[in-house]
Amino acid sequence: MIRKRHHWIVRTTHWVNVVTIIIMVSSGLRIFNAYPAFARKGEMFCCYPFEHKPIPDWLTFGGWLGGARHWHFAMMWVLVVNGLVYLTFIYLHGEWRDLVPRKDDIRDSLQMVKFYTFRRKDHPHQGKHNALQKTAYFLLPVFGALAVLTGIAIWKPVELAPLTAVFGGYVWARYWHFIAMLAIVILSVVHVFMVFAVDPYSMTSMITGNYDPSLSPEARNARPFYHLFPRRARAAAAPPPPAAT
Amino acid sequence: MNIDPRKFISINGIDRRDFLLRGSGLVSAAFLAACNSRGPKAADKLLKYAERKNLVIERKLLRHTSMDVVQAGAHDAGNKLPSYFISRTVPVWDESVRGKWALEVSGLVGNPVRLTIEELQQLPQVSNRVNHYCVEGWTAVETWTGVPFTELARLVRADPQAHYVDFQSFDDDYHESWDIESAMHKQTVVAYGLDGKVLQPAHGAPARVYSPVKLGYKNTKYLTKIVFMPKENGGYWSDEGYEWYGGT
Repeated sequence: MIRKRHHWIVRTTHWVNVVTIIIMVSSGLRIFNAYPAFARKGEMFCCYPFEHKPIPDWLTFGGWLGGARHWHFAMMWVLVVNGLVYLTFIYLHGEWRDLVPRKDDIRDSLQMVKFYTFRRKDHPHQGKHNALQKTAYFLLPVFGALAVLTGIAIWKPVELAPLTAVFGGYVWARYWHFIAMLAIVILSVVHVFMVFAVDPYSMTSMITGNYDPSLSPEARNARPFYHLFPRRARAAAAPPPPAAT
Repeated sequence: MNIDPRKFISINGIDRRDFLLRGSGLVSAAFLAACNSRGPKAADKLLKYAERKNLVIERKLLRHTSMDVVQAGAHDAGNKLPSYFISRTVPVWDESVRGKWALEVSGLVGNPVRLTIEELQQLPQVSNRVNHYCVEGWTAVETWTGVPFTELARLVRADPQAHYVDFQSFDDDYHESWDIESAMHKQTVVAYGLDGKVLQPAHGAPARVYSPVKLGYKNTKYLTKIVFMPKENGGYWSDEGYEWYGGT
């Protein structure tokens, strides 16, 4: 039984977001490399162990400081508009209910962790997403908003000084901008890993929108790299190989 | 009927294995090309378009009432403020060759003037302790002493048609043109003092423009000429590809 899992607006904004985040992060790192440190001139900064050590070139985009800035300041609009389209849609269409935190989420997340670490045998019962996924998909727009706001704060530290002050001034706003980026990168990397390790079938649902619930991680009792293939496929006889010609 | 299964799944002579091989090759080539690259040439037009739109927004955001305020507890950069590092020799005005230094303020003005450093120092003086915002992402706190740009504009009776102003230097062809609104911001000064001392050649002596509403590269050092203009004429770093507006 095939079900429509993701609306075309969710699918489109998802893939636009993939491209946008990759360009924003890599061009941002290129900008950062022009001065890979956080302290003001004449001051020290407490909390960054790699002060003055540039990010490897292969992680950067834009070629040079000016080029990366052009990409960053162009793609920021795509990021904002795409994010607003997505958030407006899930608000109007009701999908926000699948993502908004609820009071059982902590308990359910612990159960998921137990299951993934083999301290629980059966996959916890879930709705559209498991509790860990819900948390990740809720946090991603939160950190996205933080990245946008801190970005505006360091773009216009004089004209929008009150916003910059909210984040503790230019130096700290730049630091928060980095933290938001790091959080987005970590969430995205774990997300992509889990897609391939636990639920590769969800890839189809993010492209065509179709999803077969009998292949869900809960139905397969799937942990990372465990039960990747459904039981019934293994039970079915393999078709005979074609005769050699 | 004898069907070769390899042929059966081939499309346009490409079978699945070929497709995967070629596909992964293309994808990894695209990734390698993307790493540290400037991006596709075709995107240049879009980037220029975005820069023009951003310029409109940035100019609208500029308020003469929004002031740069140094955070409580911030330290002065002092000698940690990067000195002149773009060229190997620090530009110095040599009086024996070029005669006495003077700042020419001209263009679309009713009363063009040439001001010696003494005349400049006699004009109303302010000292602003402000942030220096570098395009690279660092900031520094310094105190700039000099003439508010608004005083100069009043002195020369700037024409209302002068929507732009160019700050030119004796450092080869270094100049940067500004929108007049940024120049008329209260914290924009033609500075001849830094941190309570006479401005040194490393930081743009005898005089330079300084404003926290512009990124460092817009603040021309080694000033010789301020020209009021009806149109902007780019600038040294702006022509190299950095954005012309460079506002904060």
